[in-house]
Amino acid sequence: MKKIDLELTVGLFIIAGIICLGYLSVKLGKMEMIRGNGYDTYALFSNTGGIRTGSPIVIAGVDVGRVKSILLDNYQARVVLHFTENVKIQEDAIASIKTKGLIGERYIEITPGGSEKIIEPGGRIRETQPAVDLEELISKYAFGKI
Amino acid sequence: MNLTYLFQGFVSFLLVLGITVPGLAGEPTEKIRQITDKIVSIVSDPALKDPTKAKERRNLIRSAVDERFDWEEMARRSLARHWDQRTAEEKKEFVRLFSDLLERTYMGKVEDYSGEKVRYEGETTEGDYAVVKIKIITKKNKDIPVEYRLKKRGNDWFVYDVAIEGVSLVNNYRTQFNSIILQSSYENLVKKLREKGEPK
Repeated sequence: MKKIDLELTVGLFIIAGIICLGYLSVKLGKMEMIRGNGYDTYALFSNTGGIRTGSPIVIAGVDVGRVKSILLDNYQARVVLHFTENVKIQEDAIASIKTKGLIGERYIEITPGGSEKIIEPGGRIRETQPAVDLEELISKYAFGKI
Repeated sequence: MNLTYLFQGFVSFLLVLGITVPGLAGEPTEKIRQITDKIVSIVSDPALKDPTKAKERRNLIRSAVDERFDWEEMARRSLARHWDQRTAEEKKEFVRLFSDLLERTYMGKVEDYSGEKVRYEGETTEGDYAVVKIKIITKKNKDIPVEYRLKKRGNDWFVYDVAIEGVSLVNNYRTQFNSIILQSSYENLVKKLREKGEPK
């Protein structure tokens, strides 16, 4: 009787541990188990500058979504953006790839537009701004002078 | 004869599909080429180089740019969310102030022209929107990528945004205007633009 009790507690602890691990991996991996009210749009960039699946999308510094996938499409990057909330993105909004600080993590910033037309789920954000290649710019303007 | 029809048919077929033919310089590229050539001919005209003619030269450049740039669309996009809240009068004034701001900012650069070459790198057209990519090749053999974004209005193409080194002009002003308006007010932004425009 006593032996079964001990085994039961150990088992319960292990199960609890596995649940915790599962929760952690979902949280850390930024996976969403339940797809809420979000929707997808896509944008074409000439240079993503190292955006990854899971990179944040922000408006005014507030997280509004994540990069869902990145594909090569006619030598351009086709980035699928998943908005987790029902934010309305205007047709003339600009999606630009920014860097946190000088050498930090890349993210996508949306500057909202003023158009009355709203991008439908599955639609495209036409206006994009690729990542600025700092290295290239420096070499162009700092080392170029002879 | 038949072949030309076939070719035309093929090209329009591709256009319908939204496929772009990079080798063929389309209408948007032609428009950009026209205005570029026009401005280059103005700035390199020796008769207009004289300092006494500076004003005339500026006016010529400005009117050439006015023909191809859709200032209203640019101003609307730059003001973004704040555009709708403006009255018709305010919008009109803002468009004028905005185009003057761009003139002041970029006129000097245009006037400094000294034989830089322009290379056309192709265009992409999609319905009423087009992107024309060019490269400005400086005398030191560095190239600066410039992207013109055009929108079709009626039967003609007009520029609504310019991206230099990938950095969009509209996006730049949109961020600035937005933060000025949110921190103070639209009136303050107009005041700032006006003050900058006054001759010192």
